[in-house]
Amino acid sequence: MEQLLVFSLADELYGLEVDQIQEVVEAPVLHYIPRAPKLLLGAINFHGAVLPVLDLGGYLGLEAERRDQRVIVLAGKSSPMALATTRVKGFIPLEIDALLPLQEERREKTFIRAVQNRGGEMINLLDLDRLLAGMDRLFEETGGDRGA
Amino acid sequence: MRVEISYKFVMGFVFVVASIVLLNLVVPYLEIPEVYQRYVMVFSALLVGGVLGLVLSRAFTANFRVLTSSAERLSEGDLTRNVRLPRRAFSDETDDLANSLNLMVESLRSLVAQIRSSSVKVSDAAQGLSASSQEISASSHQVANTIEQISRGAERQAEMVEKGSRVVKELAVSIDLIASSAKKMAASAGDTSSTAEKGGEMARSAMKKMKQVLAEVEDNTRQFASFGENVHRIGKIVDVITGISQKTNLLALNATIEAARAGEYGRGFAVVAEEVRKLAESTGESAGEITKLIETLREESLKVQESMKESTRMMGSGHEAIDTTTGAFEAIIQNAQTTRTKATSIAELSEKQTEGAREIVAAIEEIAQVTEDNAAATEEVSAATEEQSASMEEMAHSAQELSALSEELLAMVGRFKTGLEKG
Repeated sequence: MEQLLVFSLADELYGLEVDQIQEVVEAPVLHYIPRAPKLLLGAINFHGAVLPVLDLGGYLGLEAERRDQRVIVLAGKSSPMALATTRVKGFIPLEIDALLPLQEERREKTFIRAVQNRGGEMINLLDLDRLLAGMDRLFEETGGDRGA
Repeated sequence: MRVEISYKFVMGFVFVVASIVLLNLVVPYLEIPEVYQRYVMVFSALLVGGVLGLVLSRAFTANFRVLTSSAERLSEGDLTRNVRLPRRAFSDETDDLANSLNLMVESLRSLVAQIRSSSVKVSDAAQGLSASSQEISASSHQVANTIEQISRGAERQAEMVEKGSRVVKELAVSIDLIASSAKKMAASAGDTSSTAEKGGEMARSAMKKMKQVLAEVEDNTRQFASFGENVHRIGKIVDVITGISQKTNLLALNATIEAARAGEYGRGFAVVAEEVRKLAESTGESAGEITKLIETLREESLKVQESMKESTRMMGSGHEAIDTTTGAFEAIIQNAQTTRTKATSIAELSEKQTEGAREIVAAIEEIAQVTEDNAAATEEVSAATEEQSASMEEMAHSAQELSALSEELLAMVGRFKTGLEKG
């Protein structure tokens, strides 16, 4: 059974499938990245590799007043990175039957693949591929040297 | 030469007889008739006898006339002149008589003079006596008045003495009251003193207890401080536990991820990870509760410490209050002792005063006695002065009589003229 890592951004709940996650890291030292866009909070040392940390709430246009010490390291194949969230909650089972599908146009705008209703709580399943694609655009727009 | 009258008579007779005899011898020789001779002789003898007798008798009686007139003068009281007889060759008893009369005149004169002067003196003395007796009478009147005044004064004195006696007796009663009040006061002061001593004792014991409580509170404060320390340590331990639970939670998360990655083989591991996560969660919750409890404990212990500080502070002021109370009790004891001493000395003094008042009463009674004696004496003196006054009047009367008598005497003596009178 597939597991879903639930976390909050501002007051909204979001979820990621467990196979999209490499690891959850506690309180890493954030290194400042020069000339980086504002949404990149810094870089962390993850088992010897340097990973950028994205302010996911800010990226999705949600103003969060605080961030969790834990960052979620994505199991990226080409460009691994970490996401900073408001709060990392924990795993819940992914119930495919309880998924509410979204319209295609809305999916593009909001990087949300589907919504799971869990006891009245709406958990937005993050569309990671689209998000990462958006990320590339972000770096290109801001003139970042990502991927160089 | 002195010849007595008898001799003179004899000699006269002899002379007359001789003359007659001589005549008888002479006549015959005269040429006278015989017949007539006899007649002549008789006649001659008668003539000679008569003439000679006359002459001689005159010579004899001349001094008697002088003496008689002098005696008459004397009997009339004229003592101005002495009896003076004509000088003659032969003195006789008439001269002696004249001398005796003169002596009598002298002695009468001096007697009259003496009587006169004496009666004048007596008159003067009587007048003086009269004046003196009047003066004495006046004086005795004055004395009587004075005695009257003294008598009135003595009555007033007696009244005053009685009043004084009454007042002093009242005073003695008051003094007795004061003495008993002072004794009561001394007793009260003693009671106050003992009560205040008890109060002081109680204040001291309260102080002792307060100190014990203070020590206990300080002990409690120390214990509380160590309690707070322990709670703090527990907090730290709980922090560690919280950290461990978080780490465990993280490990469980990552274990879940690893289990998922392991696929079918990691399924059991995922369950374990879930259990671990739950344990971590419940550990975290318990730690949170403990933290909350610790917070509550800390707040409460802070409150307790505050109240302990307050208690300590209040006990400090209670300490001060008890100190003040103790001081006040000591001052009260001091005052009460002073009061007792003073009251005792007042009581003693008032006893002495009572003694003095008793003596005064005795003295006043004596004075009253003396006053009565004085009143009696003044009455006696009054009677005596009245008697004296009467005597003085009698004396004045007698003096007047004496004066009259002396006047009479003077008048009687006034018949005598001594030629020495003046005025």
